[in-house]
Amino acid sequence: MIRLENVTKVYPTSTRPALDDVSVEVERGEFVFLIGPSGSGKSTLLRLLLREDVPNEGNVWVANWNVGRLASRRVPRLRQRMGVVFQDFRLLPNKTVAENVAFALEVIGKPRHTIRTVVPEVLDLVNLAGKADRMPSELSGGEAQRVAIARAFVNRPLVLLADEPTGNLDPETSTGIMTLLERINRTGTTVVMATHDRQIVDSMRRRVVELSSGKLARDDSRGVYGTGR
Amino acid sequence: MLFVWREAFAGLRRNLTMSIAMVITTAISLGLLGAGLLAVRTIDRTEDLYYSLIAVQVALDEPTSAADPDCSSPVCAGLRDELEANPLVSGVEYESRDAAFERFQRIYAGQSILQLVRPQSLPATLRVTMADPLRGTEIVEQFTGRPGVRNVVDQRSTVQDLFSFLGSVRNATFGLAVVQALAALLLISNTIQLSAFTRRTEVGIMRLVGATRWYTQVPFLIEAVVTGLVGAVLATGGLVLGKIFFLDRLLSGRLLANTIPPVGMSDLLLYVAPVLVVVGAVIATLTGYATLRLYVRT
Repeated sequence: MIRLENVTKVYPTSTRPALDDVSVEVERGEFVFLIGPSGSGKSTLLRLLLREDVPNEGNVWVANWNVGRLASRRVPRLRQRMGVVFQDFRLLPNKTVAENVAFALEVIGKPRHTIRTVVPEVLDLVNLAGKADRMPSELSGGEAQRVAIARAFVNRPLVLLADEPTGNLDPETSTGIMTLLERINRTGTTVVMATHDRQIVDSMRRRVVELSSGKLARDDSRGVYGTGR
Repeated sequence: MLFVWREAFAGLRRNLTMSIAMVITTAISLGLLGAGLLAVRTIDRTEDLYYSLIAVQVALDEPTSAADPDCSSPVCAGLRDELEANPLVSGVEYESRDAAFERFQRIYAGQSILQLVRPQSLPATLRVTMADPLRGTEIVEQFTGRPGVRNVVDQRSTVQDLFSFLGSVRNATFGLAVVQALAALLLISNTIQLSAFTRRTEVGIMRLVGATRWYTQVPFLIEAVVTGLVGAVLATGGLVLGKIFFLDRLLSGRLLANTIPPVGMSDLLLYVAPVLVVVGAVIATLTGYATLRLYVRT
């Protein structure tokens, strides 16, 4: 589903590469933690998968797209098959919960009757059926993140990317989010989650890919956050 | 598609003051353009009106004028035959000294100048109607100084002043229209950039969930086009008011009545208004498109 082949990315403002000759492969339906300290290249990797950036060397494959070589007019098609969740939720403050989720469908031109049936289903999945008409400012952090997940998942993406989705949440709320991501993973969606959260990684015992200074440091199929430290 | 329209109108509301400024500037620019077009129309009408009336007048000298009531003398008949044979000429009419005096009396009936003029001061003339009114000077050149000819006058030169006045009205309005259009373009461009900036988070999220660039940018284009169209409608309204309350009074007043033909409402609504709508929409679209291409990189 995802394959990085000797990927190197150097930002023009920096001499040290953000990613240095990284090769990694993720199968369809896998759940992968991407760990490493700040600046280790986790976010860069996610940006390359989303085609927010292109690699200097190597190839990035998502499904059958060679993402780095994709013509920019084809980028929307790629993104329509991927979902993204961020630490800061990135909800639209002037739209209700339901409108925020519907937004992802409207923007790609889905017909209204589809939107009207699909949005409540997804809100139900994330346990927010009762809050469809709330504004984002009225939600707790956990609720806001569940709206963001609903928005990312509403198109039934092949891949869900999560960049520190629990970074702003307390442990209990984080557990709820992880349960939700696992549920989405069980529908067949590949999940890649960048995180700093040792407790979550250790308790879930999923595949762990660790980056260190832009290099691939470790790839354990049922890993923990790390030893020492 | 509904979504795109909603976004566009939300954008117009969000920058309401800018939107209003944009509409007003566009309207003034298009209004000036419309006034210029009306001036062109009026000039054409006026020219048609005058050119059907004006002629080249070949005035005959004193001996011929005095002796010839029906252009039978060899000098007059020779001139008339030569003029009639000229391909530039569509008709020749002889006006004897007595006929000229009668017409003079009719025109200036009741005015003091009548006391001063006797038939002897008026020449007999050959009134030459031109096939092409613009080439009267050629007749003037050919016949000036010929035996029996006192002088040759092309009446077109006397109405030339009126046309050059109307022409400069037209040029001034077009000039102002261009300057205003420039201001309108800059305002539209600026407002789109502002609008895109205030919506950059939204647009960023749209791009992340897979919206095409086209889809994220159409709302900005619609904003521009709506501005252009509203501007055109306001401009037309302004011209209608201007016609009713200013032009109609001016042209039916003492000074200009029967000098310049009135501006018709049909000219305004059927000829000028569609031009303004099309020009407004096209210019706004092009400005919007260029701005998005050059300045908006999301």
